[in-house]
Amino acid sequence: MASPIKSLDFKEFLPMLKNRQATFDAATTKMPPATDQAREIARALHPKRQYLQVAAVTERAADCKSFTLVPDPERGTTALAYFGAGKYLTVFETVSGMPVTRAYSISSAPQDALRGKYELTIKRVDGGLLSQYILTNWTVGTPVEVSAPSGNFEYQPLRDAATVICLAGGSGITPFLSMANAIADGDEDFSMILLYGSRNKDNILFYDELDALTKKTDKVKVVHVLSDPDAAKALPGAEQGFLTAALIQKYAPADAAYSVFLCGPQQMYAFVDKELEQLQLEKKYIRHEMFGEFHNPASQDDYPSDVPATVQITVTVQDKTTTVTGASSDSVMQILEKNGIAVPARCRSGECGFCHSHLLSGKVYVPKQLEYRRFADHEFGCIHPCCSFPLTDLVLNVPTAK
Amino acid sequence: MKQYDVIVIGAGNGGLAAAATTAKAGLSTLLLERHNIPGGSASSFVRGRFEFEPSLHELSGIGTPEEPGMVEEFFNRIGAKVDWCKDSSTFRLIVPAKEGDKDAFVNENGVLVSVDARMPVGFEAFSRKLDELVPGSYESAKNAFRLAEDMYKAFDALGDGDNLGGIFKVLRYLPDVMRMTSHTLKEGLDALGMPKKAQDIFTTYWCYMGSPASRFDFLYYMAMLHGYIKNGTGIPLLRSHAMSLAIDKVIRDYGGEIWYNAEVTKVIMKDGKPAGVVINGEKEVYGKRFICNGSPNFVWTDLFDAPSIPQKQIKMTNARPVAAALTTVYLGMNKTKEELGITDYSVFIAPTADSDAQFACCQDFFSGYCIINCLNEIIPDCTPKGTSQLFLTTMTFGDVMKDVRPQDYKKFKTKVAKDMIETCEKALNISIQPYIEEIEIALPPTFSRYLNTPQGTPYGYMLDKWDSMIPRTVQFMQDQPFDNFLFCGASQERGDGYGCAYHSGEKAAKLTIQAMKEGK
Repeated sequence: MASPIKSLDFKEFLPMLKNRQATFDAATTKMPPATDQAREIARALHPKRQYLQVAAVTERAADCKSFTLVPDPERGTTALAYFGAGKYLTVFETVSGMPVTRAYSISSAPQDALRGKYELTIKRVDGGLLSQYILTNWTVGTPVEVSAPSGNFEYQPLRDAATVICLAGGSGITPFLSMANAIADGDEDFSMILLYGSRNKDNILFYDELDALTKKTDKVKVVHVLSDPDAAKALPGAEQGFLTAALIQKYAPADAAYSVFLCGPQQMYAFVDKELEQLQLEKKYIRHEMFGEFHNPASQDDYPSDVPATVQITVTVQDKTTTVTGASSDSVMQILEKNGIAVPARCRSGECGFCHSHLLSGKVYVPKQLEYRRFADHEFGCIHPCCSFPLTDLVLNVPTAK
Repeated sequence: MKQYDVIVIGAGNGGLAAAATTAKAGLSTLLLERHNIPGGSASSFVRGRFEFEPSLHELSGIGTPEEPGMVEEFFNRIGAKVDWCKDSSTFRLIVPAKEGDKDAFVNENGVLVSVDARMPVGFEAFSRKLDELVPGSYESAKNAFRLAEDMYKAFDALGDGDNLGGIFKVLRYLPDVMRMTSHTLKEGLDALGMPKKAQDIFTTYWCYMGSPASRFDFLYYMAMLHGYIKNGTGIPLLRSHAMSLAIDKVIRDYGGEIWYNAEVTKVIMKDGKPAGVVINGEKEVYGKRFICNGSPNFVWTDLFDAPSIPQKQIKMTNARPVAAALTTVYLGMNKTKEELGITDYSVFIAPTADSDAQFACCQDFFSGYCIINCLNEIIPDCTPKGTSQLFLTTMTFGDVMKDVRPQDYKKFKTKVAKDMIETCEKALNISIQPYIEEIEIALPPTFSRYLNTPQGTPYGYMLDKWDSMIPRTVQFMQDQPFDNFLFCGASQERGDGYGCAYHSGEKAAKLTIQAMKEGK
């Protein structure tokens, strides 16, 4: 029996090639469009670099300043990338010949970006190379180079509860200030209860701004938590003590789910994480801003013994191979930077994977709280240099810094 | 000045395959990639305690030990090793009942549906199931699969080089191949007498190649279906990132260089031919031959000065409609698949079973067309204990983002995701939203950012009948822009899909190796 497919005409194939050619021939020779809206959105939100300059400097507290950054059209940036409140910018600087990067949360409102303004608020960190450099050197007119807004510390209505208890310590207030502004501007829609830990009133950053926001919208509530008892007594509405489980419970909605967002120094995470255990919240309701750069790996329980104090790293970037020496207490990224070798860097907390590199030989230690590598990375010897500490001499391939 | 034998632009699947093949053949090879990791779509990303598969649904090219599929064979050829997990199902199609559908019934999920088809692996089992759902469709399905077997043979005959010889063999011995390639999927199934309702189920996979039954050629659909139905599919145990790193390793083991974060920003021309490239706007590198994994549209507009582009290339680019763009919602769930009530790896949810009607509703978002996948169905422990991961996918065609401003994008994304999640919740009668621990939403701008293609399409150009696989294959060489610059990837003869992209890269590499040998 002939297959029913035989009813299709075989000969229709014959002109196919000619017809295809004719379709091409008939097309226009005008250059095809170089872009479309998908590409435009991607470019607007994720520029490779933003070239800015400092337009204003505001003292916030002792050792803490805000820097207003505006586009520098002469170097090619005419508009700022819009961002979701909570994102950070990675700042690229050169300090005494050394390429240095650091991630800072944007403290200004997303709407300000549309008006051509970002604000970074930077507090001096003991031993913090870049914070000290910036506080000393950035003045009005200083050219500044930053990344696109990055990071995942944002409110997501499909994931997070309608009420968010925001726990801030010190300069960890910055992403929350941006979020509070976004709420007031209608860019975000959730109820924020901000528990902001400081030593005393003088240490509180953005006291007036926060106060004004609570008057502007009833979706933002601010509670100052002061560790200094006298300071707490003197400030109406303030709580005395620390960011404890009891305090969270006091302000949390009694009969509805709530999320907890944390941003602050590493010691605060250690303390608050213990407190949160008592509340037995689902994991989805607890979100941390990135851990920050990790120091002193030897303090970790699982750090091996007999690690040499100095190691050699042979690194290849494109067609250039260099061998450098560094301290095993520094991350691979720090060692390379201290030797003048720029490494692609964004979060410096292990999380974003931007520094993803190939370790060809040698061993590294990765603190488990910063382990965000992909499964296959382990199998194929890939590391994130920002949170990998050398245990032996290393040979590695690092992508071009850009 | 160093001159590489081969410079490969882009480390997507096509570029990886090309570089692995030329490096293995001993050619000095430089692979340039604008991102910091290989793979393009074949990658992965981490959110919290979940690692997501960005775009792969299922690999049709795994096969079995006795009959390895195209992807498995490619990995064996280059000596790359990846662990696969086999999928023992194909797909489930659910069409929620429309008002007034007298044949609607309540399915096992307690949902009133017009269609609920859960299709098994294997030609015979599939045909029997189809017949059970649409009585009288068995013969037509069996005939279709018989043709699919012939098609698979045709793939071998098509070879890798200049395909004219292969094509004539095919013409002579497998004339049905020519019948099928010159007719649409719809015409083919009509000729086989397949009832319309059965056709609707049979054509469910159209979206994997992005052309509906009235536009896609019968031949290529059946060849594709062969890969999915005959032996079932699989996915890499450790996400697609493992596949891309495995090829990356092969390239480096054979002495090839891979530079990441190295974006080609210009092609340097000499004597009317490409002679080198500029990387990140600053560094020049030179090569004898080039294999380009980029989308031709943006390769021409971004990397070349207009006068140096062959006119035919511009015409081709303008003549070919851009293929499907994807939107995917990745969900890390704090419940297991059993707790969520998920029973299938792949469920296609559609407002209508007809592929052309599905295509029509994909001209915009919020179409009610959504595929939901649960990775734990194939890899039970791909997420921590007590959790699971889902991904939801929909397709769009055209510049669907045109009314969205960058500052509206975040809200728009969330709205699209919510709509897709609710579509799935309703169609499966399950609850998803309360259990979302991690969520990431990728719209065409996301794919555009990572793939650098028009509208972010991972699929290249639409595989319409006039520009289908066979004509593309026959005219492959005359479609290439310069004799030392070949394209590979989804824009080429076989369109999208890992196996197709690997094939295109390997083919461009083999042609390159041959040309080098001949001293051209």
